[in-house]
Parts: sequence; C-alpha cells; structure tokens
Amino acid sequence: MVPVGACLALSAVLFGIGLIGFLGRRNIILMLVSIEIMLNAVNVSLAAFSQNLQDSRGQVVALFVIAVAAAEAAVGLGLVLALSRNRPGVSVEELTQLKW
Amino acid sequence: MPILAGQIAFYYLAAASVASAILAVTRRNPVHSMLWVLALFLHVAGIFLLVGAEFLAAVQVIVYAGAILVFYVFFLMLLDLPSEEVGPPFGAHWPLCAAAGVGFAALAWYARAPGLLPSPQQVAEGGPSRGNLSTIGTALFTQFALPFEIASLILLAAIVGAVVVGKKKTES
Repeated sequence: MVPVGACLALSAVLFGIGLIGFLGRRNIILMLVSIEIMLNAVNVSLAAFSQNLQDSRGQVVALFVIAVAAAEAAVGLGLVLALSRNRPGVSVEELTQLKW
Repeated sequence: MPILAGQIAFYYLAAASVASAILAVTRRNPVHSMLWVLALFLHVAGIFLLVGAEFLAAVQVIVYAGAILVFYVFFLMLLDLPSEEVGPPFGAHWPLCAAAGVGFAALAWYARAPGLLPSPQQVAEGGPSRGNLSTIGTALFTQFALPFEIASLILLAAIVGAVVVGKKKTES
C-alpha cells in the first residue's frame, strides 16, 4: 500500500518540472512534451486518489485525460507542421507575428 | 515483507521518474529528451501498477509510450532541427519559469494536507471486489457513457483538425 501523500508529492514535483519545461523551453515540440509530462503528473494523483478511496472512477477520469492528451498531441503537432512549412525552425522566440 | 518491498519499489520509481523528467526538460538534444520522457512514462506505469491501477499501467505503456511518444519522435525526425544544437535550450526568461514551476510544486506539495483527504474507511463501499479491468469497463459504459462518447467526439475532431491544419495550402 503506497501512501497517498507520497504519490501526491511525486505528482506535484512532476507537474512543477513540466511547468518549467513548458514555460522555459525554446523548442515548441519540447513545450508540447512538457504538457504531456504535466498530464502524466495529474494521472499519478488521480490513480493515487482512486486507490485511497477504493473507487475506480479516478482511473476512468485518468483514461479520459489520456484520450485528451492524444487529441492534443495530434492537433499541436499538426500546427507545428503547418508552422514549419512556412518558416524553418521551431523556436518560439521567433514567432512574433500572427501572419506572414 | 511485501509492504516494505512495495515501499522500496515506489521510492525507486518516484526518484527515477523525477530524475528522468528533469533530464527530459533540460537536455539540449530533442531526441535525448524524448528518450528520457520514455523512461519517465515507463516508470509512471510502474507507479500505476503499485497503486493498483493495472489497466491504467497497460494503457500508459501502449498509448503514451507506444503511440503518442512515437508520434512526437516522428515529428522530430520529420522537421529536421539543425539550429537546435547551437542555441541555449531555455529562453532568456528561464529564472522566472523556474520560480513559477518550483512555486507551483511547493504549493501543490503544501496543499496535500492529510485533513483534506477523506479517510478510506469513510468511503469504502460494500460489494464484491472484482478485477480492475471489469470495474473500469462497467463504470466506463454505465456511469461515464456520455463522457466516453464525448471523448470519441474529441478524438474525431482532433483527427479532422490535424488533417485540415496539416494539409498543403491550395491556391484558390
């Protein structure tokens, strides 16, 4: 039996790392991957709650989170592809215009 | 002592996931980052196993590590990023980002007060205990039937949106 507090602490640390990556990285693909790290951290705490409350609904919600993560990856990477067709490189610092 | 073994396994998996997450976020080479994210996903799947979410662990390995991450690696190969090696991996505003991340993690760490969680005895329901997959499947198709359909709609919209955004522009 894993203590729920330890799982929540792990989840908090992972989410913080993902947040740093999302805000700080220059590469847009790695920003999207940092979002995946954050969603995974949330799944850890959902699974921990599910075990703590002896209720499987937390795991069902985690499944929905995974489905939304897949959708987000598809749309986000499609946008990156469209972006890179117009200009080389995927650094977010160069994306200062809405249209070019 | 299975309880002690579980604790040791949990602390190993937690330390390894935090280490691989830090490495994934800080590596300069994006392919190395992807490989560390793969390590992170596999360790998180181990944590799911430890907290009794076997189906979630399987989905984590199959969908996250198997499908989503491969998708990201495909894109990384497709885009060919030569300029990534020269510049710093983080923007100039990285101290602010680090402060935000550490601050949020500290806040979430502080918020996991024991009083906020209902104790398991309070909420434990009677009834025969079934397998993990059977329980989840029943909940998914009865109580969560509408969200399940909405999830399929979201995935359909994502497929169509990715095709529309990704296709070549035609002159009209």
